[in-house]
Formats: sequence, structure tokens, C-alpha cells
Amino acid sequence: MKETKIKTRNLSLYYGSKMALNSISMDIPEKQVTALIGPSGCGKSTFLRTLNRMNDLIPSVRITGEVLVDGFNIYDKNVDAVNLRKKVGMVFQKSNPFAKSIFENVAYGPKINGIHDKKKLKEIVEGSLQRAAIWEEVKDRLHDSALGLSGGQQQRLCIARTLAVDPEIILMDEPASALDPISTSKIEELIFKLKVNYTIIIVTHNMQQAARVSDNTGFFYLGELIEFGKTKKIFTVPEKKQTEDYITGRFG
Amino acid sequence: MERHFDLELEKLKKRILKMGNLVASQVHQTMVALVNCDVEAAEEIIEADNAVDELDVKIDKLCQRIFALTQPVATDLRLIMASLRMNNDLERMGDHAVDIAKRVEGLSDYKDIVQELKIDELAESTDAIVRDVITILNSRNIVFIKDIFDDSEIIKSKIQLISEQIIVQMTNKTDVVVVATNLMIILSQIERIADYSLNIAESIFFLVEGRLVKHSKGFWDQGTATKKNQDTTTEENEDTTIEKNLPSEE
Repeated sequence: MKETKIKTRNLSLYYGSKMALNSISMDIPEKQVTALIGPSGCGKSTFLRTLNRMNDLIPSVRITGEVLVDGFNIYDKNVDAVNLRKKVGMVFQKSNPFAKSIFENVAYGPKINGIHDKKKLKEIVEGSLQRAAIWEEVKDRLHDSALGLSGGQQQRLCIARTLAVDPEIILMDEPASALDPISTSKIEELIFKLKVNYTIIIVTHNMQQAARVSDNTGFFYLGELIEFGKTKKIFTVPEKKQTEDYITGRFG
Repeated sequence: MERHFDLELEKLKKRILKMGNLVASQVHQTMVALVNCDVEAAEEIIEADNAVDELDVKIDKLCQRIFALTQPVATDLRLIMASLRMNNDLERMGDHAVDIAKRVEGLSDYKDIVQELKIDELAESTDAIVRDVITILNSRNIVFIKDIFDDSEIIKSKIQLISEQIIVQMTNKTDVVVVATNLMIILSQIERIADYSLNIAESIFFLVEGRLVKHSKGFWDQGTATKKNQDTTTEENEDTTIEKNLPSEE
């Protein structure tokens, strides 16, 4: 049984007076992939963003309850959100490389964290690109613009950029939804490899993707966590009828 | 919201039930032909087997199509998995009925032995277990699954008893050796029919409850099958007791 990496307790989130998350309590195991599924507007992306305090940037958001990472509440006043986001990296639906070279995209994070030694930076960039399974494709054009890469390569570059600051947790918000099947399968394969070293939480609308890549699945509906458990159980014998209806497409 | 592939699933449910009824009728006719040593009826059974074979292929193809095109999960997945297994078991059951029918001719001159051995009682039990399991397939009322297990045990006891009597007859009268051997083979076919009935009952249980209980004789002995909340799935609520006893797939 894996240790719990992230623990949420009665986590609620409000946009103004509207409740978007209703008392979510969830134990996310370390070095496993946890998928969050549910219909649009169910709160899964909102929940994901609470895990590295991305919602702090939205005015009118109010959060109650706790998010404990390694036992520490990340919403404590003395927690620095920037430091937190080094530990909890994020990959978005649309790949968003900087308009810089491939090398500079990956080196950017380490540089702003004070690493300027060229040899060290080179090591970090190569290591990150290798772990993101894109090194072989870009090693001969590291100084070309990242914007010249294909969509799938850009997404893996963004994953490499996340890995470069040595996070422990990676949040992925629909990382493959804009990609073709081959690029999607590369991202999925990558997720599978990365979980050996990282705790991964992925939001996806693709049910088969959740089933393929994750160890645990949480089903959200109307801001509530309806069911959370082992993926192999959720997709074979879910306990709640709402989960069953959603994953079999009978929903609505 | 109705999904377009609900129609496919409905078709599958209807076909597997049709297969069940077809085989139940095949077994019934075979048992009647056996008891009456009715060669003519037996020949009709042999000729009618094509319908079962054709339906078997149709069900396999339908399952393959649903798997390939819809990536089913949860109850849908269980329906298709259980249907594939039940289809296979029903087809085998039908084959055994035909094999028995083929041996009826060899019994036609020995009706007295068939009566003496009380084959009629065994035939009645065999007919009943198949009919009952198809009724459960239709109703999905798993409360009655334990009865199928009990009935299959009763059939096995009857077979054991008749086998012993046949051996005594063979020892005493060498001229009955051929018919006795024929009957021993028929008994073995009947035992398989009972086994397949139990397999189908287990598939229905899997379909309804989502728990695999095959190869778990003790499960039925303990009478836990119908106690929904008495969980054999203690470890993280996912593996049945029997699964835990099997080699890990990982």
C-alpha cells in the first residue's frame, strides 16, 4: 500500500457565493496516477488547481478545509505559493511553450531558481528532456525555437519544463485532449513511466484514457466527489450508480 | 438517456436467452429420448443441432463487435464477458446432448436395464437443472443460484450410485458390457451438462454482482452467494477470496 502524498479534508471552494467544490476529502497515494473524471463543470479542474493553489490567482475565490501535502497544509499563511508550485508542477490542456529555444524553455525554471552554471543547466535540460521522452527527437536542435515543434512534442516539452524544477507532484489538466492518437499514446506511455518517481494527478474527459493510465479514479459530479477508488474497480464494479451511469455513458 | 449501443446490448441479451432456451429444449428432448430409448427422437435432436451452432457464432460475432466499437465498462463489460462464457458453455452443453442422442440407438434393445437403473430420475434432474438455470438467466434472480449448486451435487451423487450399479451388472453379466460402457459414457456427458449449468449460474452471479466465484466450491457450500454485504472482497474491496488463492496476474 502506497503512502498518502496529498490529503484533502472537507475542502470546499466558492466562486463568490457559488459553491464549486463541496467538502472534498480524498487521500491521493504517492507515486501513482490518480485520474479525476466527471462531466464539464463538475469541479475536477477546480479541484486540481487547489492542489498547487492556482485558484489563488482568481479573485472572489474562497477556500475552506485543508489540503495537506506530505502532512503540511498548503493553505497555511506561511506557505509560499511559488515554492509550493516548484514541488507541485502543472501541465495544461494546451501546450504553452515560451517563444524561446527548446533549451531555454527547459532551463527557464532552474535559472529563475538560481542555477546559472552552464554545465549543470545542460545536465538538467538533457535529463528532463530524456525523462519526458523527447530527447531523441530534439537533441540535435536544442537551440531551435520550441514553437517549431509539433503539438505532441510541445506538450512533452512542457512536461520536461515541469520536470526541470524537480517537482514531486505533477498535475495534468487534459494533457492529451488536443493531440492525435499517436501523440496521445506517447503522453500516456510517458505518464506510465513518470509515476515511478512522481505522484501524478490527471484530469481527463477521455474515459478510456483514465482507465488506461491511472491507478486510482475519482468521479466528481456537481462539485462533489461521488466515488474514489482503484481504477480497476471503478471501471468494472463501481459502487455508486451515478458513477456507473457516467462511465457507461448512460448519464443525463 | 438511451445510447445507440443499448440496442446492441438488448440484442445480445435476447440472443443469449434464445440460445439458453434452445439448448434447454435440446437437453429436454434428449432426456426424453434417453428414457424412452427413442431412436427416432434422438435423430431429430442430432439434426437440429445446426441451429445452436449458428446462434453460437452469431453471439460471438456480436460480442466481438461490441467490444471493438464501444469499449464497454462496468455492467456493460460484465454482460459481454458473461455472455461470451455462457454462450460457450451452452454450446458445449448442446454438444453433450447431441452426443447422448447419438448413443440412444445402442440402448434400444436394453430398455429394461435403463429402467432398472432409474435413468429416468437422473434425466428428470438433468432436465430440471438446465431449465432452472435458464430461468435464472432470464430473471437474474441470484437468490436461486445456490439451488443450482445443490442440484448439481445431487446429480453427481445419482451418477455415482448408477455407476456402481452398472459395474456390478458388468461383473455379473458379461453380455451387457457394451451397453454398460455406453451408459457410463452417457453418465459422464450428463455430469458435464450439470457442470456447465453451474458454470452458467456462476456467470450470472458475476453479471449481477460483479464478483468472480468460479473454481470456488466452498463459496456455494457456505451459502454466502446471496449475502450481498457479506464480503468475500476484503482486500481493498476488489478481489474475491478465490481470486486471492489464484496466482497473481501481476
